[in-house]
Amino acid sequence: MPPLLAVEDLHAGYGPIEVLHGISLEVRPGEIVALIGANGAGKTSTLLVISGCLPVRQGRIALEGEPIERLAAHEIVRRGICQSPEGRKIFPRLSVLENLQMGAFTRRDRAGIQHDLDHAFELFPILAERRGQAGGTLSGGEQQMLAVARALMGKPKLLLLDEPSLGLAPMVAMKIFEAIRKLNQEGMSILLVEQAARMALMLAERGYVMETGRITMSDRAETLLGDERVQDAYLGE
Amino acid sequence: MTPTAKRMPVWPLYLGVLVVYPLLVYPERALAGLTEISVGRQLTYIFIYAILALGLNVVVGYTGLLHLGIAAFFGIGAYITGILTVSAYPFQTGFLVALVASTIGAAVFGMLLGAPTLRLRGDYVAIVTLGFGEVTRFTLRNLEEITAGTRGLNPVPPPQLPGFVETPLSWLGIGADWSLDYRLFYYLALGVLVAVIWLLANVERSRLGRAWVAIREDELAATCMGINAARVKLSAFAIGCGLAGLAGCLYATTLTSTAGPDAFDFNRSMIMLCCVILGGLGSIRGTLLGVFLLVGFDNVVAPVLDGLIQAAQINTSGNRFLTFSNWKLMIFGLALVLMVRFRPEGLLPSAQIEAELGHERKSHRPAEAPA
Repeated sequence: MPPLLAVEDLHAGYGPIEVLHGISLEVRPGEIVALIGANGAGKTSTLLVISGCLPVRQGRIALEGEPIERLAAHEIVRRGICQSPEGRKIFPRLSVLENLQMGAFTRRDRAGIQHDLDHAFELFPILAERRGQAGGTLSGGEQQMLAVARALMGKPKLLLLDEPSLGLAPMVAMKIFEAIRKLNQEGMSILLVEQAARMALMLAERGYVMETGRITMSDRAETLLGDERVQDAYLGE
Repeated sequence: MTPTAKRMPVWPLYLGVLVVYPLLVYPERALAGLTEISVGRQLTYIFIYAILALGLNVVVGYTGLLHLGIAAFFGIGAYITGILTVSAYPFQTGFLVALVASTIGAAVFGMLLGAPTLRLRGDYVAIVTLGFGEVTRFTLRNLEEITAGTRGLNPVPPPQLPGFVETPLSWLGIGADWSLDYRLFYYLALGVLVAVIWLLANVERSRLGRAWVAIREDELAATCMGINAARVKLSAFAIGCGLAGLAGCLYATTLTSTAGPDAFDFNRSMIMLCCVILGGLGSIRGTLLGVFLLVGFDNVVAPVLDGLIQAAQINTSGNRFLTFSNWKLMIFGLALVLMVRFRPEGLLPSAQIEAELGHERKSHRPAEAPA
């Protein structure tokens, strides 16, 4: 099967500093792929480049074979890549419902939006309870659920999740991961960036390990979980 | 939308009062014999400033870009109207063409200013717009061949709108001579203001309105939602500055002069910003209330109090500390400080700003669970 997302030899950076030195990875349809690595390895930058928020300096990104590396961020959303950015970035003063409606900004099919809204509330029932409440007044876990649900409202082909467990208690993070697994079982392809390497690899089918702007390992997730170097560096064993 | 109980709207009441007022109270007697101020005439200016403040609210309130030079666009509108209508120029296009040209012209200047500031955030937008405001004022002053320098362009002729204004209003016993009966200007400005409010109330609920608010809340997240941030910000500049130009056209027409460049200085921008903040950022009702309170205070209450002081013979020697007007900026400042301390969301806040700031104040906000 052709990859849903293919990234090849990607370079990017901020000002004079290059932080990605030739990243290559792919996500196949229906897969969860985990991108793990330490602080500052370039995981978030990789996602930002894919979603168009950070310009590509060199290399290719293709969605279903179509090159997207020259498109602006808002056009990439229309092509079917939605991102739940690091630190959640919900709209704090908009209500939960308004946040979700913003997620469907690019869409005009009212019936479809309503259907996906119901589905989001099914996935995260707490959001339905809090639908009238301002996003900023939610707890951290609820905000993360809102960020994931909001990205889903764009009806993506590929969902980019940046550190969904960031700053959450393990129990709450588990809940988020449960929801991600359920989404994937429904057929959603997901690229998951995580520092919580064990949880991410247990969820994913394949994984990539990043170090200082390069992919240093890539394999099936179970293999990575069992790998000595990965265990030493990221799993604390 | 937060579910709120459906209430009877009160705006028809306010609008009714404003429509009926000049019919009942005309000719106005000087207020308690204290000043020459005509409340109706001042209300006309308040309507014009309300349009200006609503334009500023689009940029500052909805989109969250701190624009400190709105007066420049007010001035650009006034001068475009001046150039297109005064007898010193060959154009003399009349009011309607000038109205459209002022709006579009100011919107174009707004986009010219907006385009290079798109990558800037927060304080930097403020600095650039502040600089642009001052540059515009000095340009107007020094480009004497075109703007007549500090004298301004005049006389701006009265509008010729027999079908729209003069004929319908003559049924109400209002004369057809614009220079004799202020009520023609009054109803013209009120009509345009109502149209602007209607327009903005619709834009507020549209995709564009929601995109403005999303940019204000979080630009990165807004981009992730598929919003073209550059275009949305540019549209806010265009619409906000265009409305300021529209207000400028009405101002020059009502005043029958573009006034001098100093009518469009930093103070004017600041007072407009105060109106928006006092009333409530991002709220149409709040902005209107802010304008009525601050400009009303400035143009009506302060002169009346001055008159009172004079009538009471307190200040026979002309001491500057004993005229009320000299204290008014201090009172503005104090009012703003108190607002920001005790009611940062404004008097009539938008639902969203209320959600963040109001709840904190009333401590309705549930304790942030560390999750």
